[in-house]
Amino acid sequence: MDRMACVDLPAFPLQLLLRRHPEWSVHPAAVVESDRPQGVVLWTNERARESGIRAGMRYAAGLSLAPGLRAATVPENEIRDEIASITERLRQFTPHVEPAWYKNPPPGASPPDPATRGRRRPFPRPASPSGSSDSLLGEPGVFWLDARGLERLFGSLDEWAACVQADLVRAGYRATLVLGFSRFGTYALARSRRGVHVLGSPAGESDAARAVPLDRLALPPPAREALTKLGVTTVGRFLDLPADGIGARFGPEVRQLHRLASGDLAIPLQPERPDVPALRRLVLDHAEDDAGRIVSRIETLLEPFLEEISRKARLLAELQVGFRFERMGDHLESIRPAAPTLDAKLLLELIRLRLEAVRRLPDGVVEIVLVAREVEATPRDRELFAERKRRDLEVANRALARVRAQLGDEAVARVQLRDGHLPEARFAWEPLVSLGEARPRPVDEARLVRRIHTRPVPLPPRERHEPDGWMLRGLEQGPVVRVLGPYVLSGGWWNRPVHRDYHFAETKDGELLWVYYDRSRRRWFLQGRVE
Amino acid sequence: MNVYAPLWCKSGFSFLEGASHPEELIEAAAQHGIEALALTDRDGVYGAVEAHVKSREMGVKLILGSEVSIDDGSTLILLAASRCGYGNLCTLITAGRRRSEKGQSRVGWREVYEHAQDVIALWGGDRSLLVGEADPFFVAHGLKEAFGDRLYALAARHRRAEEVRQEARLRQRAAKWGIPVVAGHEVLYHKPARRELQDVLTAIRQRVKLVDAGKLLKPNDEHALKPPHAFARLFEDDGAAVARTLEIASRCSFSLAEIRYRYPSEKLPSGTTSARWLHELTLRGARERYGGTVSSEATAQLERELDLIEELDYCGYFLTMWEIVGFCRERGILCQGRGSAANSAVCYCLGITAVDPVALGLLFERFLSRERAEPPDIDLDIEHDRREEVIQWVYVKYGRSHAAMVANVIRYRSRSAVRDVGKALGLSETTLDRVSKLLSAYGDVDPAAFAQAGLDPEHPVHRHVLRLASEVLDFPRHLSIHPGGFLLGHEPVATLVPIENASMPERTVIQWDKDSLEELGLFKVDLLGLGALNQLHKGFELLEKHFGKRCTLATIPKDDPATYDMICRADTVGVFQIESRAQMAMLPRLKPRTYYDLVIEVSIVRPGPITGGMVHPYLRRRAGLEPVVYPHACLEPVLAKTLGVPLFQEQVIRLAMVAANYTPGEADQLRRDMAAWRKSGRIERHHERLVRRMTEKGIAPEFAERVFEQIRGFGEYGFPESHAASFALIAYATAWMRRHHPAVFTCSLLNAQPMGFYSAATIVEDAKRHGVAVLSVDVLRSEWDCTLEGATSTGPNGTSGRSSRGGGTQLRDDAVAALDHGAAKLRTATAADSPASNSTSTLALRMGLRYVKGLGEGDWKKIEAARRAKPFASVEDLVVRTRLDEGAVARLAEAGALSGLEPSRRGALWAAKGAARAARPPMALEREEAKPEFDGLDAFETIGWDYRTTGHSPRGHPLAPLRERLRARRLPDARSVASGSHGRRIHYAGLVICRQRPGTASGVVFMTLEDETGFVNVVVWSRVYEEYRVLVKTSSFLGVTGKLQVQDGVVHLVAEKFWPPRDLLAPAEVESRDFH
Repeated sequence: MDRMACVDLPAFPLQLLLRRHPEWSVHPAAVVESDRPQGVVLWTNERARESGIRAGMRYAAGLSLAPGLRAATVPENEIRDEIASITERLRQFTPHVEPAWYKNPPPGASPPDPATRGRRRPFPRPASPSGSSDSLLGEPGVFWLDARGLERLFGSLDEWAACVQADLVRAGYRATLVLGFSRFGTYALARSRRGVHVLGSPAGESDAARAVPLDRLALPPPAREALTKLGVTTVGRFLDLPADGIGARFGPEVRQLHRLASGDLAIPLQPERPDVPALRRLVLDHAEDDAGRIVSRIETLLEPFLEEISRKARLLAELQVGFRFERMGDHLESIRPAAPTLDAKLLLELIRLRLEAVRRLPDGVVEIVLVAREVEATPRDRELFAERKRRDLEVANRALARVRAQLGDEAVARVQLRDGHLPEARFAWEPLVSLGEARPRPVDEARLVRRIHTRPVPLPPRERHEPDGWMLRGLEQGPVVRVLGPYVLSGGWWNRPVHRDYHFAETKDGELLWVYYDRSRRRWFLQGRVE
Repeated sequence: MNVYAPLWCKSGFSFLEGASHPEELIEAAAQHGIEALALTDRDGVYGAVEAHVKSREMGVKLILGSEVSIDDGSTLILLAASRCGYGNLCTLITAGRRRSEKGQSRVGWREVYEHAQDVIALWGGDRSLLVGEADPFFVAHGLKEAFGDRLYALAARHRRAEEVRQEARLRQRAAKWGIPVVAGHEVLYHKPARRELQDVLTAIRQRVKLVDAGKLLKPNDEHALKPPHAFARLFEDDGAAVARTLEIASRCSFSLAEIRYRYPSEKLPSGTTSARWLHELTLRGARERYGGTVSSEATAQLERELDLIEELDYCGYFLTMWEIVGFCRERGILCQGRGSAANSAVCYCLGITAVDPVALGLLFERFLSRERAEPPDIDLDIEHDRREEVIQWVYVKYGRSHAAMVANVIRYRSRSAVRDVGKALGLSETTLDRVSKLLSAYGDVDPAAFAQAGLDPEHPVHRHVLRLASEVLDFPRHLSIHPGGFLLGHEPVATLVPIENASMPERTVIQWDKDSLEELGLFKVDLLGLGALNQLHKGFELLEKHFGKRCTLATIPKDDPATYDMICRADTVGVFQIESRAQMAMLPRLKPRTYYDLVIEVSIVRPGPITGGMVHPYLRRRAGLEPVVYPHACLEPVLAKTLGVPLFQEQVIRLAMVAANYTPGEADQLRRDMAAWRKSGRIERHHERLVRRMTEKGIAPEFAERVFEQIRGFGEYGFPESHAASFALIAYATAWMRRHHPAVFTCSLLNAQPMGFYSAATIVEDAKRHGVAVLSVDVLRSEWDCTLEGATSTGPNGTSGRSSRGGGTQLRDDAVAALDHGAAKLRTATAADSPASNSTSTLALRMGLRYVKGLGEGDWKKIEAARRAKPFASVEDLVVRTRLDEGAVARLAEAGALSGLEPSRRGALWAAKGAARAARPPMALEREEAKPEFDGLDAFETIGWDYRTTGHSPRGHPLAPLRERLRARRLPDARSVASGSHGRRIHYAGLVICRQRPGTASGVVFMTLEDETGFVNVVVWSRVYEEYRVLVKTSSFLGVTGKLQVQDGVVHLVAEKFWPPRDLLAPAEVESRDFH
């Protein structure tokens, strides 16, 4: 008979929060839905519960009970990343792991029903990975594992189960593992017990599951509350209710849970398949330091490499070329084409440009690895009919890709305007991924251009006596003949106070300089030049 | 040297823009030697009065104006040159405010042109069209035509590079259109150090963090009020523009002192004057009040009052109040004047107040005096539910232009300051909530709170928060609405002060608060809502409906001994003003037997007399345990009424005048300082003067100190005698109703909820203990409100023997029946003195559907309409015909309101959910759905469900099912506790219905616990409270061990420890009324 296990990391978001703030474990602590006083408390630690704080309360209400209540949100992506990492971890013990995790953002949490006070409120539930009907079992921190045949590797399934749980505990999680026979049975028991439990028979599992309190399951809160009011507090009592009546009153989701619990519905394990990127590796017979020959070797790898990506109906968005040097260790180069592609010739040209800079490598390469970052292929037929513009952006982007390949990724950047007062705060450099269509603003009148230094240039202190005038840039430009200003920029007091008195200084030979006196540093700087 | 006048200054009253108070700007101007300053807050004159008062004090000329927002997004600064110009400015702002949502204002250029008379316009600043890239040709033409030589181009400089080009454009256009250029700068704070606060206020206004604010913040600190030499240096290239600021200042001659307010004149019968009409109405009223023969004393008093009212030209005000009261009478709305108006015999005769000041010897001068020369203040209490009717009538009668409500300026207090400033500085909101909860509501921003919350007060960000939050204290945050104050004017109110929309629909509000009105001597009419009047009205209606008795406040029997007996027993749950725990503890000691005793009772349990240590001396003297002596012979007339102990606010003031030789002016200042609730320092300035002068007069220093303590207490909260007299009347009326018609009393009280001190559960339990049969909510019988039903064969709880549907009986579990039996025995014991045996006993109280939590009035209307058509046959029938949603019908099922249709509550819930979710009613041939079996509710669960769904239970008290178990553990009930002896140590368990931690009690917590037999008052010393804080704050069912303190028949349990009665099943959650 097939064996499966359910791993439950109880109050998973709270576990993550306490890993982030270990110092909070000695205080009442809670995960809140949002960072505001009216944010709903979702999970609480033991100390918070001792103070009477329960899930479903507002943070402000909790605070009135425990003035030292610490709380924060746990972002969904943090949960997602952590679940992915645990999934990887669990794959050490079984190839088939199904995490109950988010594919879609959780729906906005509604304010708690006063009737639910004092009870644990489930985290907003996600859709199941497959969109199947088992989404009722999908709280974060729940995993199903395929245990078939693993007793041969671990000696016994008991041993396997103990190893899995111990590994999670070593990683700093609280975890329960129940090894049984069905998805629902293992889940229900994992939610109601602690430690490791290995069930002997399907009948035993079923009997044990009937006794599980209903509030341990991730039922929708309204359904759970209504069932509690009806006196239906265990899985067994739940199963005694007529299935049709359940569906009519609590909706298809709860009906499905009923079917799952009763055994009418069996959903097989749906392990998540890891997304393994295309990879090619070539070990060289001898250390190679000639760039040209290395490109030739890469060429031999590239064809089957791209074919593999093509088979997955994908395109290559980025190619990572790893070099293992004989003495200098590993080095990774990243090549990004202008657009996702499977064009070997184009890629090879970009690789060549990147390596062209050095005819001979600093050390001999003993191994080459190609790894792809893939994206889904999209139909591009539309482009065939599109009218070609005079400015061909595609060509421009290809050119920029070549520049990037030749000079490095940082070589292509653009200025993004920012909303700041200081000259250096009015823009920021950001990598240019692709060139868009230009939309220049019409300019009514010709304006002067201010060119600024990347870093303001310190100027020599002004002399007390300047018989020949203020020699800003030395003798060749002559003295300053006119000064406009000061124009004052000050602020940033909450972090690093700044106070600058800006001036436009015109030198005798007509140069217009943009200078400022920094009051905190008590010296003059050249910010730039006006042309 | 008079160099310039700042003409563009915005204060904190530009709400989250200016970072100085108006007074600070004026003070700074005076320090710089600036002779005139214009206050130009954004779209308003909110701070005008404060600035006006300060400017008079500092000798700085105040020019009033405003920066007006135009509907194209630009701005224009307008200054009032004269009273007419000021009226135009206010009217223009009103137009902009009234059409915009709260907090916004937009006027059109055409409106600006129309209100240009006697207004000076300064066109400039970086949001004005004059410096923009587009040429404002048409606007310039319109402005020039409207303002003529009163239009100036404002060249504003703040040392910003962009301004050079803007100013070049401005000057070029000004030259083209012949507009003179005036120098200026936008003043947002009085000194550069306030720049940081201005940044923070901007971030708060823009709802961004400082780090993300970017160009929303000003680029530098050049927005401080500049000293003349700095301003001259800024405009050293254009001295003429600087000189023009003085020219403009000289053209503005308007001052708020010029405001001549006229109260709106009433429509008078032809050929009469308002004075004569008031005289006639007063005499007519006097004949009614005094039964035809007006005593010479009353006549003399009336003559004296009428003379003064006429002399001060206040007749219109009294006539208005008379009209409002008349409207209320006509509509059957209960109302009664409160406060100092009760000192006036004219108010009494006009029917505004219900207390005869002549009989009570109340002091008219407390209400109105020639020396004080300030307008009278009549506060009218109106039954709560119908106050809006009166408010809207006032709007209709006087028109929106002549009547507007008074504003209430919401200012930063420590908690809001820390929250807003901390948020701007990037702290998380939950952290700020943690800190702010540790701060006192009215105190300073205490660094200790940061440390307590686990934050380092020395961390740079926290230091900024501490400093800036302290700085922002008392800054206006937004405008709210006064609870009931109206400003009425003969001239349109909008010419006095702008009117704007309040957040409440159909409400308009002026830009000044009550202090500003008082400062300018403007009249305010206060229309306040009072729940007790609402309750009385409902009670009178029930008396008329069920007993044919027409009662009013004036006709209920006076000095009824049975009523006073009940009051002396402190059996006063739900009685206005004397129902609180503290009042109940006082009643058996004070033993009120007359109306005036009630006046004292109402006044004595207040922070003033308590902190002044006056309570015990009074009680001892009243009981004859100590002689009535006066600290000085001169004080006998002042204190004779209260046995030599000052208890009322008026006495304290007169005491200051008599014993400390306070002049009328000083006494008036003392009264104001006492009224400036919790504004620190104001009362302290009287300390030395009072004590010294009293001691000099030969009064014992201890007494002098005690009097001052009491003054300080009155600063917290104290009652004037007249106010207490008004309230005592209502207290007596509600007590009389409770004593003689408990069912009527309870029904009206439940229908007037929320009000008072106790929850519905406590009121219902108390009614049951007094023999009132209470029937549960029933969808077949209940109305929306609670009703009285003629009893057929009323059972102990009114739940038995009553037909519910077609002769069927309402289900009652055996366990509940047993409880009822026990309760019935109890009632037999407690109701011996109750009036249950009189006429009321034939009436049972049917709880209304309004008590089903979550059921709306709309749901009730559906039920009512369907029920009127034909009775409901089943749960499904109800759902189909009412189309109630699943939630509503489920709540009815849980509350037991469907028990006439489906006996089992769980069965009803299952049926309700099924019927509500069904897409259509089942066809006759369809297979009937299997009906599952559910466990029945036991007695404990039944009551628990009642409490959860309706907040009370007619079927029993939550502790009744536990009584046997409690008894087995030797835990007494409340009745046994009440008969315990002094010093006895007991254990008790009960439901917490009230927790109080009064500010005057040094951290002592007072709790009231309840069981099915009554209340137990628990006193928790702060040490014990701190030890058991979580338990005390969170548990609704609580065990307490302590010693009994019995004094004058009043029993308190002084807690030593608390414990959760875990081994007993947790009873239903009872809503506790907590007051901190």
